[in-house]
Amino acid sequence: MVIFGANGDLTKRKLLPALYRLAYERRLDAGFAVLGISRTPMTDDQFREKMLASVKEFLEDSPFDADVWTAFAQGIFYMAGNFDDAALFPALDARLKEIDAARHTGGNVLFYLSAQPSQYIPIAQGIAAANVGKGSGWRRIVIEKPFGHDLASAQKLSAELHSAFEEAEVYRIDHYLGKETVQNILALRFGNGIFEPLWNRRYVNHVQITAAESIGVEGRGAYYQEAGALRDMIQNHLSQVMATIAMEPSATFRPDSVRDERSKLLRSIRVMKPDEVLRNTVSGQYGPAHIGGEDFPGFREEPGVKPDAQTDTYAAVTFFVDNWRWAGVPFYVRSGKHLPKRVTEIAIQFNAAPLAIFNSDETTTAPNLLILRIQPEEGISLKFLSKRPGSGMTLRPVSMDFNYGSSFGERSPSAYETLLLDAIIGDATLYTRQDMVEASWAVVDAIQHVWDETKFEFPNYAAGAWGPKAADDMLARRGHVWRQP
Amino acid sequence: MGAAGGTIAPDRILHDMADLWVSLGKQGEGDAGVLRACSMTLVVAAEESDDAQAIGETLAALMPEHPSRAIVIRFRAADQRSLAARVFAQCWMPFGHRQQICCEQIEIAASDASLPDLAAVVLPLTVPDLPVILWCRSPRLFHLPAFSQLAAIAQKVVLDSAVFGDAAAALAEISGAAGAGHLLADLSWTRLTRWRELVAQIFENRAQLANLPLVTDILVSHRAAATPTTAYYLAAWLTEGLAKVGDHPRVRFHSDGGEPAWRLSLVELRAQGSADAIASIALAEGHAAEVRVGGLVNKALLPALTDYALMREELAIPGRDPVFERALAAAAKLALS
Repeated sequence: MVIFGANGDLTKRKLLPALYRLAYERRLDAGFAVLGISRTPMTDDQFREKMLASVKEFLEDSPFDADVWTAFAQGIFYMAGNFDDAALFPALDARLKEIDAARHTGGNVLFYLSAQPSQYIPIAQGIAAANVGKGSGWRRIVIEKPFGHDLASAQKLSAELHSAFEEAEVYRIDHYLGKETVQNILALRFGNGIFEPLWNRRYVNHVQITAAESIGVEGRGAYYQEAGALRDMIQNHLSQVMATIAMEPSATFRPDSVRDERSKLLRSIRVMKPDEVLRNTVSGQYGPAHIGGEDFPGFREEPGVKPDAQTDTYAAVTFFVDNWRWAGVPFYVRSGKHLPKRVTEIAIQFNAAPLAIFNSDETTTAPNLLILRIQPEEGISLKFLSKRPGSGMTLRPVSMDFNYGSSFGERSPSAYETLLLDAIIGDATLYTRQDMVEASWAVVDAIQHVWDETKFEFPNYAAGAWGPKAADDMLARRGHVWRQP
Repeated sequence: MGAAGGTIAPDRILHDMADLWVSLGKQGEGDAGVLRACSMTLVVAAEESDDAQAIGETLAALMPEHPSRAIVIRFRAADQRSLAARVFAQCWMPFGHRQQICCEQIEIAASDASLPDLAAVVLPLTVPDLPVILWCRSPRLFHLPAFSQLAAIAQKVVLDSAVFGDAAAALAEISGAAGAGHLLADLSWTRLTRWRELVAQIFENRAQLANLPLVTDILVSHRAAATPTTAYYLAAWLTEGLAKVGDHPRVRFHSDGGEPAWRLSLVELRAQGSADAIASIALAEGHAAEVRVGGLVNKALLPALTDYALMREELAIPGRDPVFERALAAAAKLALS
């Protein structure tokens, strides 16, 4: 596995701990090797030392075993180089041959782009020019989001990647899809008989997808200023989650069969006309606040952010899916920074009973909800009404909970463990395909173009609040309210 | 768990709670484990001087019937902003069972000056999709301007007008807040449940029911020198009920003196010109009431009501209580007339 950007945060925090854990579980071949590449000059041993410290620091829910590390570290190598330098890639080819000879990797290479997005194209061009994308074994490339910053740039990136790799060899990683609960959506829907009959416009009133972060941009102001919540979260993670929730059943659980259904769903999302955008979307930006005794700056006061930045740190969108299953059912999707708590979940609200025969107040008319919690406590809850013990027919909402952490007595693999192993064994089910990327960009571009031409009155929500009031109004127009997760 | 400088991060508290459940799960004997129970978020706002042990005992007693995530906020009057928090679990083993049931409790110590920060801390700590009930044990806190932000998180705010001082002002204030759309409960009203049951039982008898339209005078006697809110509530409830049969009796209040101030000593319904009351209920020795109807005298239990008993009853009504709302509006009018 060749990691471009081996000295970066992602490698330290996620990739190496995940690879170590796979080695610990004996999921990796004995000859597995990691070749890290970045600009910083380092020897193999120095890189190993650095990765050892990272693994010890960022390994989650797992013991560290020195013997496993010693064996694993023998396969860790490093080379310094500039990704714009054409000479890097023939040198890389030579180094790969050396490693192959020493460790018998069979010529199989997984390239992992953990570099700055602006370097994706030079890396792809370098690989193509040196013909490193082809070899005696399989060659695959994993790239991290963002897959472009709009539809046109996504298509350009794809074309460059395709100069060195077939589309089937390109693995666009979306770590949300590697989370157990997101995978469990498929198990819940298609492994059980009771949910799928209800999973349509006849029974589902609306769907809410929330990805909230309690922190601000945390020093990433300069990057985030150019991205925003719509592009950073909704275009990729949340549209993939929505596709998983709403897609049609796949005939088989083969990678392209599942991805075809996801892709079909993404292409069914209605692309808004310019005059529909401001009615069905809300852009927000957090302002300063005092929470729990601590002062938090507004987005415009964050380091590296322009004082008049129009960046959306909060985005809420009402999507409609134009197909027979979902016609007319709103999918409310929101994501934001500095919201009250860190939580990602999907709430499917079912229609109320057609006739209210009990004395009703706000508690006895509470809707049936199916909540799929993606983080922090992965699990599923079904909320329904029950009679309160005692005389009279008083109803109270109750819930049945399934919690991943306590229901299975075993550790859940991290999203990166799942996804890296899938890429190594060539299972692309949980990876995003180019047609899916383009479909979600088509939806998001239509919104972003209108937002780019609109001057918003920012900030419009205080850090620590559940977003701007306009987001509440957007739902209220259809008689709905946001859940407070 | 309060961070240095007196700050608290809700995420940290939630993380600590998750760790707490993991450690409780590991402590569980054999395969029984622990059962996490929660039917609401109960926020308790109390003064620092309030009896912490008594609050803890009340919450522990409430949990088996109303398992809640309890957030106890203890305020001290200070100008400097300061906050600290800790989490722990309340557990019990139901009789005959092998599995412990546990509820989580968060304790927050706050200064008055940090009240404006608290809503942003409490909001993420509430349990999704379940009612949030705020029990405000101090009138001083209720009157702090920033208290409304905390109250806005709750579906229902439980107060006790008995500790508000001036009954008429308290009823006007509570009635005004209810009129503005807030869902409120008053433990002074909850204290009347047994009195109201006794009155209702009298008129379940058809012969007595026929006497209802004859009632021209209502007398409510109480211990306090000034008429307490409980007396106004009972009179208001009676007049509201009698108005339904076209009866509009006069209401008199009388002070017997004594303690506790909110306690009622007598309610009497009379017909004009009659020597005997149609019905009366008088406080008797011990936890009893003497119920007189015509020539008949009965004794009925009138148990002393603890905070636990009052809250147990209030938490059973997370939504609107239209009877209370009508009585509150009528009591406020009565107190001001």
